[in-house]
Amino acid sequence: MTISLGPLEIPTRLVYDFLHIFILPGFGAVLILIILIIWAERKIAGLVQLRYGPLHVSRRFGGILQLVADLIRYTFQEFIVPRGVDRIAYLTGPVLALIFAIIPIAFIPVSPFIEPPIYVSSNMLLVLAILSMAPIFIIITGYASDNKFAFIGSLREAFLMISYEIPFIISILSMALLFKSLDMSVVVSSQANYLPGVILNPLAALVAYIAIIRITGRFPFEISEAESELVMGPYTEYSGLMYGVAMGIAYIKLYVYSILYSIVFLGGWLPILSTNLVESYFIGSFIILIKASLLMLIAVFLRSVYPRYRVDQAIRLGWSQVLILSIISLIWSLILSYFLR
Amino acid sequence: MSQVSIKDPDLNNLLNILNEELKDLATKIYIDKTERVVYIEVAKEKILDLAKKMLHLGFDHVKSVSAVDYPQEKKIELMIHVGSYLRVIRKYTIIIRSMLERDNPRVSSLTSVWPSAEFHERETWEMFGVYFEGHPDLRRLLLPEELEGKWPMRKDFRIATRKAGEAEAPWK
Amino acid sequence: MSGSQDITQELAQEMFRVVETGVKEEGERLIELQIGPTHPGSGHMRILAWVDGDIIVRCDPDIGFVHRTIEKLSENRAYIKTIPLVERPSLLDTTPMTIGYVNALEKLMGIEVPPRARYLRTILAEITRIASHFYGIGILAIFLGHSTGFMWAFGDREVMIELATMLTGARITYAYVIPGGVRRDMPQNFPDAVEKGLRYIEKRLKEWEKIFLNNPVVERRLRDVGILKPNIARMLGVTGPNIRASGIDYDVRMIEPYEAYDEIDFMIPVAEEGDAYARGLIRFKEIEQSINIIRQAVKKIPEGEIISPQISRLFNPLMKKIYAEQKRVKLPSLMATLKPPKGEAMARVEAGRGEALFHIISDGSTNPYRFRFVTPSFRNVILFKYLIPGHRIADLPAIYGSLDYFPPEADR
Repeated sequence: MTISLGPLEIPTRLVYDFLHIFILPGFGAVLILIILIIWAERKIAGLVQLRYGPLHVSRRFGGILQLVADLIRYTFQEFIVPRGVDRIAYLTGPVLALIFAIIPIAFIPVSPFIEPPIYVSSNMLLVLAILSMAPIFIIITGYASDNKFAFIGSLREAFLMISYEIPFIISILSMALLFKSLDMSVVVSSQANYLPGVILNPLAALVAYIAIIRITGRFPFEISEAESELVMGPYTEYSGLMYGVAMGIAYIKLYVYSILYSIVFLGGWLPILSTNLVESYFIGSFIILIKASLLMLIAVFLRSVYPRYRVDQAIRLGWSQVLILSIISLIWSLILSYFLR
Repeated sequence: MSQVSIKDPDLNNLLNILNEELKDLATKIYIDKTERVVYIEVAKEKILDLAKKMLHLGFDHVKSVSAVDYPQEKKIELMIHVGSYLRVIRKYTIIIRSMLERDNPRVSSLTSVWPSAEFHERETWEMFGVYFEGHPDLRRLLLPEELEGKWPMRKDFRIATRKAGEAEAPWK
Repeated sequence: MSGSQDITQELAQEMFRVVETGVKEEGERLIELQIGPTHPGSGHMRILAWVDGDIIVRCDPDIGFVHRTIEKLSENRAYIKTIPLVERPSLLDTTPMTIGYVNALEKLMGIEVPPRARYLRTILAEITRIASHFYGIGILAIFLGHSTGFMWAFGDREVMIELATMLTGARITYAYVIPGGVRRDMPQNFPDAVEKGLRYIEKRLKEWEKIFLNNPVVERRLRDVGILKPNIARMLGVTGPNIRASGIDYDVRMIEPYEAYDEIDFMIPVAEEGDAYARGLIRFKEIEQSINIIRQAVKKIPEGEIISPQISRLFNPLMKKIYAEQKRVKLPSLMATLKPPKGEAMARVEAGRGEALFHIISDGSTNPYRFRFVTPSFRNVILFKYLIPGHRIADLPAIYGSLDYFPPEADR
């Protein structure tokens, strides 16, 4: 759904594309949100654990700039490449994982009247496909580092990727079945007409959230990078800037998955009661960011509460319970879509 | 074999049973004044049979296997603290002592009777040089490689100290 | 005196099955993992694990990285200088170690300890026992990935360390126990501070139940993991809360009561399952029992001297003045050249992790001829070799944490 902007169409589109990719919800929002979310994770964990959390770096604001200090330190730390690694895979693995985690932003619409920079009519499927490429590069990273612990970490990542990506894809596609479209703008406006996705199909919402927690490595599923068993999982041999990149991958994936989740289940750019008030690009994308931040906050809060599962327990959970629930949600969508004609 | 009067009736029973069961094996059995420790001296050839008899009596684990070096008498004395988890006898510790030749201390390993002695015997091997025949895995436990074969706990091992100005430690 | 079965066949069947059979050469299916000293989940030791897929087939603990040769050092020093040496290995429950050594020395020399000193030693020993159990719980939590448990454990441990500082002046290594008694009396506000501290710990224990003991992920990770059957535990000579979690109620404080334990009423918590969860739970219950013991001791403590008259008659006038005014003991110079009679003595104590054994052989000179010192963690090392095979890689930190194995204590 676009409006014709007259003779100023192409420059306006370019301006909006630029804003979408670089400011909101693109790189600018990613950077600021990740700084805020990691700070919130460490501060919440600190408050639960009877300590301060980050405090000193910018004392007046409660240590918000701690992550900036950490990133500066990683940038200037010596980047050591061990001798026995496969150099191409070692150097490009995390970078490619990062690229494939962040590219979907270009496809996700954040406003009813402006197209995303690259508009494809089945953009939900495309986003799912690109996001499922990222774990492959994590596995390659762990295998390329000449280290037994990294190897075991990427084995775990491979097992868990298969167990939890499938239920996630099934639950998202069940929402597409419900709203009869693979286009995210259509999905959001259908939610304006009926109800938010989380009320229509709560089972799919639950399954999708559990899968997100696993895919982004939040506790209790922080298994492939289990610190007390494998030093850092696939990223054991990384130092310097690549270490910062490797740490950032999980949070960027969390960001993109949260945006996808808030569009499909929580009504996207609509405020709470679905009205058609929202027409501007800025307010719409801001609302999506707020919903995504809420989801990310809940996901990172779990660090203070749960330890991590053993890998076979997590795989068993994925195949026996989460997969079955996602198939039930698919069937429920089929039944419900008959009534939502 | 005790001349002083013992106040603890259980200890009396224990001593009677020990005296009876071990009369061909042990050379001497005596107690100390706290009435909680029983010393048994035995020749080194009979130590495995003594251990089997003790196991049948209910002493099921080893608390310590160690040695004491007597360089003047040219002997190393093996000292084994044995205890039990059974209720009646758990308050007594039996110390088995046996004299070995200092030049070639060899004795049969007790791990076939008391598996808990495995790591203690490894420590005694690396510290004193006592070779336990039949031990499944006799190698050094606590010491680094450069002290292998030097038997540090013997009295003739002087702890070498570094003098001022020396670059490397003298034991290297 | 009932006999036990012939252990050798039973052992060959149960314990050596994984070690002897099924071990293939490395390179075919086995990966050798060196969980070495600089690994977040290993402590000061190296664990060599041969892994087939995810199952550990053989495990070899490589200890000795923090071996400090305490037995050899004590042969070159006066008797009283070994007291701080004996504290250092087990840095968390230091007082039972000094109590054991000093008990052996007192048995050798025939020194009687006055009752007030015995109660003070007991109070400090139980304070350090609570601190040591919190450390063990914290390590178990962080090995599972539960950072909240780790931080809370060390925070609660601070309360106990503050109490010990109030009593002795030092935080962790006190050298408070000397032959004949203790070095200081307790200050006036100590009983109130103790009560406040204990009430805080009791309040915290309820929070611990909610976040750790009833946490579903913790239960999944720890239940039925590392099951230690009672007969195997007896064979291997396991000691401490590990064997109390397997059903055998062996505690030296009840068997051979030392210090003031025979005048205080307490229970030994015992569990039947023998898995890692039971071992963690027993530590929590022992903290509750220690709180009970401290309360009784503080209430029942008799007035009197804190140092035996055999020592205090050697004081010079200045020392007598300080003792009368501040109740502080200054060591007379004879203590530095103590010459016990020729003979030997043995003492056993229950440290936080189990039974520690002290054996002193004296030849009448100022230095001991031989000092044998076995710590509970050294007796528990054998569990690494025999308990871990058959479990998964992720169970290794869980079992390690539940055993509360402390490498410096084992290496001495």
